[in-house]
Amino acid sequence: MSMRSITLGHYLPGESVLHRLDPRVKLVTLFTLIVALFMIKSFTGFFLYGLFIFAIFISSGLPWRYFLRGLRPVLYIIIFTLVLHFIFTKGGQVYWRWGVLTIEEAGLVMGSFMTLRLALLVITTLMITLTTSPISFADGIEYWLRPLRRFGVPGHEIAMMMTIALRFIPTLMEESDKIRKAQMARGADFETGNIFRRARNLVPLLVPLFVSAFRRADELAVAMEARCYRGGEGRTKMRELHTGAVDYIGVLTVGALLAGIIVSGV
Amino acid sequence: MEAIIQVRNLTHDYQLSGNEMIRAIEDLSLEIEEGSYVALVGPNGSGKSTLARHFNAILTPTSGEVMVDGLSTADEQNCWEIRRRVGMVFQNPDNQIVATTVEEDVAFGLENLGVAPELIRRRVAETLDMIGLSSYAQQPPHLLSGGQKQKLSIAGIIAMRPRCLVLDEPTAMLDPRGRTEVLGTVKQLNSQEKITVVHITHFMEEALEADQVVVLAEGKIVRIGEPQEIFGGELNLEELGLEVPTVPKLAHILRQGGLKIPDGVLSMEQLVNSLC
Amino acid sequence: MLIEARHLSYTYMPGTPFQIQALKDINLTVHKGEFVGVIGETGSGKTTLIQHFNGLLKPTEGELLVNGENVWTEGTGLRQLRSRIALLFQFPEHQLFEETVFKDIAFGPRNMGLEGSEVEKRVRYSMELMGLKYSLYKDRSPFSLSGGEKRRTAMAGIMAMDPEVIILDEPAAGMDPLGRRKFMEKICMLHRDEKITVILVTHNMEEVSRLADRLFVLSQGKMVLEGKPSLVFNSPDTIREAGLDIPSLTYLLTRMRESGKEIRTDIFTVEEAGEEILRFCGEANR
Repeated sequence: MSMRSITLGHYLPGESVLHRLDPRVKLVTLFTLIVALFMIKSFTGFFLYGLFIFAIFISSGLPWRYFLRGLRPVLYIIIFTLVLHFIFTKGGQVYWRWGVLTIEEAGLVMGSFMTLRLALLVITTLMITLTTSPISFADGIEYWLRPLRRFGVPGHEIAMMMTIALRFIPTLMEESDKIRKAQMARGADFETGNIFRRARNLVPLLVPLFVSAFRRADELAVAMEARCYRGGEGRTKMRELHTGAVDYIGVLTVGALLAGIIVSGV
Repeated sequence: MEAIIQVRNLTHDYQLSGNEMIRAIEDLSLEIEEGSYVALVGPNGSGKSTLARHFNAILTPTSGEVMVDGLSTADEQNCWEIRRRVGMVFQNPDNQIVATTVEEDVAFGLENLGVAPELIRRRVAETLDMIGLSSYAQQPPHLLSGGQKQKLSIAGIIAMRPRCLVLDEPTAMLDPRGRTEVLGTVKQLNSQEKITVVHITHFMEEALEADQVVVLAEGKIVRIGEPQEIFGGELNLEELGLEVPTVPKLAHILRQGGLKIPDGVLSMEQLVNSLC
Repeated sequence: MLIEARHLSYTYMPGTPFQIQALKDINLTVHKGEFVGVIGETGSGKTTLIQHFNGLLKPTEGELLVNGENVWTEGTGLRQLRSRIALLFQFPEHQLFEETVFKDIAFGPRNMGLEGSEVEKRVRYSMELMGLKYSLYKDRSPFSLSGGEKRRTAMAGIMAMDPEVIILDEPAAGMDPLGRRKFMEKICMLHRDEKITVILVTHNMEEVSRLADRLFVLSQGKMVLEGKPSLVFNSPDTIREAGLDIPSLTYLLTRMRESGKEIRTDIFTVEEAGEEILRFCGEANR
């Protein structure tokens, strides 16, 4: 009950251009943007790239707060990178000294540079994931993995696994809540003790959860076969992926951005 | 009427660890007529589910033969054609829904059959409309009630246009409201869409609605007949581990007490009328 | 042991857009030695309510008292409370986790701090209580048991804590009629012979009307009816509004009474109903 109303994944449905992009195109776009980000050599480049991303963000209609909350977990990694560079990258003028610790010009420049790159990378990725439903992500991935089938990459199976995982996450969360309470009713203690004790106390929760997951997998496999599932061969899809004008414009824009960055050398 | 499923001298053994065998079904023969509503009842371990799994080639005979629409389940080549014609709904509604939205799940079977996308969309819409789940098309399945989930499972089968629907204790895990919803849907599919229904259940009340009741015990058919024949007369179902439904049981007591209750009274409404 | 709820309300995920008020101003008392039934359709708050009785959920408003003491004041041993007021969840066989039946049943007693021979005594006792032969089952893996045996193992795991109150959430769900009847007979035996207070949550109106001394009827998080089964099912309109059915025998007897027959309607077993109808018809013919 308590878990029921939480929608999983970070996906926020919407109608913006970014939302409507074909998932295959979106994956290409994301890839191009990341390449572009690594091609940038100057702060001017970051500034221009940042402006571009900001414009897309505004057009996507994503709520600020929700977006920032998504960034929070990565914040520590970003700060950590910044601090590491400040302390360990040496060269140029010395700005500050305390015993053996110094902060030098190269550290400041490199630190800010890497931090900006990392921050923009995270922002770009988050923006794409927030506007793409996990299921269409799976479709996109399946499409791009298709040529790799020859080399034994099971594209369809990977996509099917993603779908099933997404389908069962809420079910298993509800179940783990129930089992946790059932064991607490038998006096189990999940809240006190040191880390080892706590880990051991999880056994009464994890064993039933695994047993149940296996049972579900078993039943699901039979049910899928009963519905004529026999792998990706000869299978069609209800939702066909269509590329339209929006997608071409999207690809062209990020292509132009990448070309601009390479040619101008910013 | 023609038989859609013919079972001839079916025996099924399960292999346990090592060389141990357990016989779930023994020398069983049965015909299921096209368009009929058959209830398959029996206590746990009577072989109901095993028998049902032969109807769409999830299991194949140890000996004997099961013919579905003229196709033998023993022939592997027929397997997919049989599964298309005979759909199966299982007990646990959670463990048979594959996709992350209602409409995607209904489409699953059709996608497996390689139906053209446009036709899939049309059939999905039609099916959801027929089952009464249209307003949930875009919802994730975990937000549905138990009864709705089970109706979704039925929709996923019906979209494939099967000729026969096999339901393996579809209401065992549902509350009374969910049970009523699902039974209503199944009855409607049988009467309006003329789909053959094989309904496995251990709720005797549900068997009262069938055209034919098959009682299984220890892998064999011990009774077969219309509900009136099974529940209307002398009753020794309790020895088989089955419950006699309230109405026939009470009617029996009253008859023994000398009251004139007509034979074949099965519903409470009939009993009320004969007493008031 | 006396359980009391006073103005108890519970809201899931308060302060978020997802907040749902599951219980609204519930007042009730369960007396020592009673057999009470909690009925209501799915989503009416039954399961949420019973999870308050042993301190698995904390009321958002109001309070829950056990023997007059608020369960949530500092210093109340919640774990100790849970061994005295035991709760068996729906499909309890899903909570089995140990290598052997013995160890699984011993989980509760060990969490209570018991050891050695006392644990063994309790496991043995509760296994025999639930009809699981100690020598035959104690070393078996719970996962190798049949569905019914698993359920009884889970129940034995609860009984091994020697509780004064047992709360059962739809304990016979999914069982076949014979298994169901036997399991419910066990519960009745515990109530009658061991003087255990039973709180039964169920969808089966026939069964609960036969077994319970008193019923609580929940609808949309509120208590809409309370009292003896005969009294509760005497308000068919409220029962139907709550999404429930009246037992079919009650329906029959009420209809007969409405047609002017002097017949009792507070009967919940087929045999007694048969007798009563025959009695009435016999007198009418005289």
